[in-house]
Amino acid sequence: MAGIYIYSDKANIAAELVTLARQAGKTAVLLAFDQDQADTLTQCGADQVCLLQGDSPLPENYAQAVADLLTQEGADLLAVGATARGRDLAARVAGYLDCGMASDVSSLSYQDGAWQCERMLYGGAVVQGQILMGLCVVTVPAGKFEAASGNCDITALTVGADTRVSLVEQTPIVKTGADLTNAERVVCVGMGLDKKEDLSMIQELANCLSAEIGCTRGVAEERHWLPVEQYIGISGAVIRPKLYLCLGVSGQVQHVVGVRDAKLIVAVDINEKAPIFRSADYGIVGDMYEVVPLLVQALKNA
Amino acid sequence: MSVVIACYKWVIDEADLRINADLSVDSSKAKGKISDYDKNAIEASVQIAAELGGKPIGLTFGDSMSKNSLKDALSRGLEEAVWIQSEEAASADGRVTAQVMAAAIKKLENVSLIICAEGASDTYARQTAPRLGALLNLPVVTSVCNMQLQGQTLKLQRKLDDCLETVEVALPAIISVLPEVNEPTIPGLKAVMAAGKKPVTQWTGKDLGVDLQPRVQAAPLQGYVMNRKNIILQGEPAEQVQQMVAALRKEGVL
Repeated sequence: MAGIYIYSDKANIAAELVTLARQAGKTAVLLAFDQDQADTLTQCGADQVCLLQGDSPLPENYAQAVADLLTQEGADLLAVGATARGRDLAARVAGYLDCGMASDVSSLSYQDGAWQCERMLYGGAVVQGQILMGLCVVTVPAGKFEAASGNCDITALTVGADTRVSLVEQTPIVKTGADLTNAERVVCVGMGLDKKEDLSMIQELANCLSAEIGCTRGVAEERHWLPVEQYIGISGAVIRPKLYLCLGVSGQVQHVVGVRDAKLIVAVDINEKAPIFRSADYGIVGDMYEVVPLLVQALKNA
Repeated sequence: MSVVIACYKWVIDEADLRINADLSVDSSKAKGKISDYDKNAIEASVQIAAELGGKPIGLTFGDSMSKNSLKDALSRGLEEAVWIQSEEAASADGRVTAQVMAAAIKKLENVSLIICAEGASDTYARQTAPRLGALLNLPVVTSVCNMQLQGQTLKLQRKLDDCLETVEVALPAIISVLPEVNEPTIPGLKAVMAAGKKPVTQWTGKDLGVDLQPRVQAAPLQGYVMNRKNIILQGEPAEQVQQMVAALRKEGVL
């Protein structure tokens, strides 16, 4: 059947993309490559789950089969959750179809018979509108649409998989650091921090706020003071807490893009010209080593 | 001799972009650079080519400005470069780029490995390696953070969102690497001097017979603005802090 074909290895994004299909007035078909995943996806409010079964455990290896299915069914769009696996599968399918593709769109809608989207370039400094027509592919990050719900059936097909890449093993990444993506409040520390020991001061402030600690890329990748999982920015964590309070963060665009959807941005930095103040709701131009202890005191008294 | 291809892109340095008052983007004073992560792709190809006893070749698709990339790329250990010059490169989408690169790779012989970076620092679209796999009918492994050559097989570790995955693939293959994969060497003076003498093959988009019309219609670039309150709290530090706590309470984020 025609309509929007959706794939994500994260069921929440798959459910969100069903809402995209509904907004566009189109049928939603969810793709799955194993039985467990197909079972989970039956709860995501789609019209159908299409289970493609073959002899590879890696979803990316079904790109040719997906491209063939889209062509055969006269699909309107392949919408894929923007995860590492999703992006890979999506671009391979676009390659087989030799069609247009918009990656990691920040907005997406169907207007006048075309897909209108926006995406960020140059690390988030620049936005570009893009229009795609005909059968095309998009990848969409989590959180762009409300998740749909409701039951549907599974249709199973046996297909060929590309088995040239074989799986040896998978090891879950154990997150040692903070859970930034689900934190309501995040205190972020930047290169304004003089030495690693001073993180205890930041920790005390975070405790007062019941906040998790994040950092800029330099703190994690150059100084190795915090795990790389804790750095915020375009190539790190992209978060949307209620409060983002940053200390000694200059506010380079590659960092700020990681918090652009925060409800409130508050900055403390010694340099009044730091770009972070243009991205902040409230700012204090001052020395974090003076401000943080005062802030801890004020919060304790509050 | 087997050939290892490093795909790279000459991009505008985002640090030099200026956003005008009407949000239009001024790149007229911006300098170019080899896209940051492409330096990792070049380094990886030099290392693997040495292990294979093969030759690392750089491949780039760009307008006349991208000529400036060749010496830099060749100073990083590549032995040759292939430059596909086309003014249409500026408006190329992921499809056009992959078609051009694939057509060029088909003209090269004994290619055993093609290495891309995960994404370019301007568009960060992350399409090239997977699309090349489809167009060249070669296996693809993306998000590679560690690589080991065992004979004619690559054992690769991939860093995905919530797991590390180890896979194997026999050459020839295509991979895209994350910056974690290596630490690019900073070229010394000798390498820079030698780069100017290394061979460069130049083709045009027309030579390759590729349809250079993008499928994605792109609007002009616009500066991104975040609408925030931009209130700078005044007074002595103690007063500033009191105002901040009051503001946090008023905004309901405490």
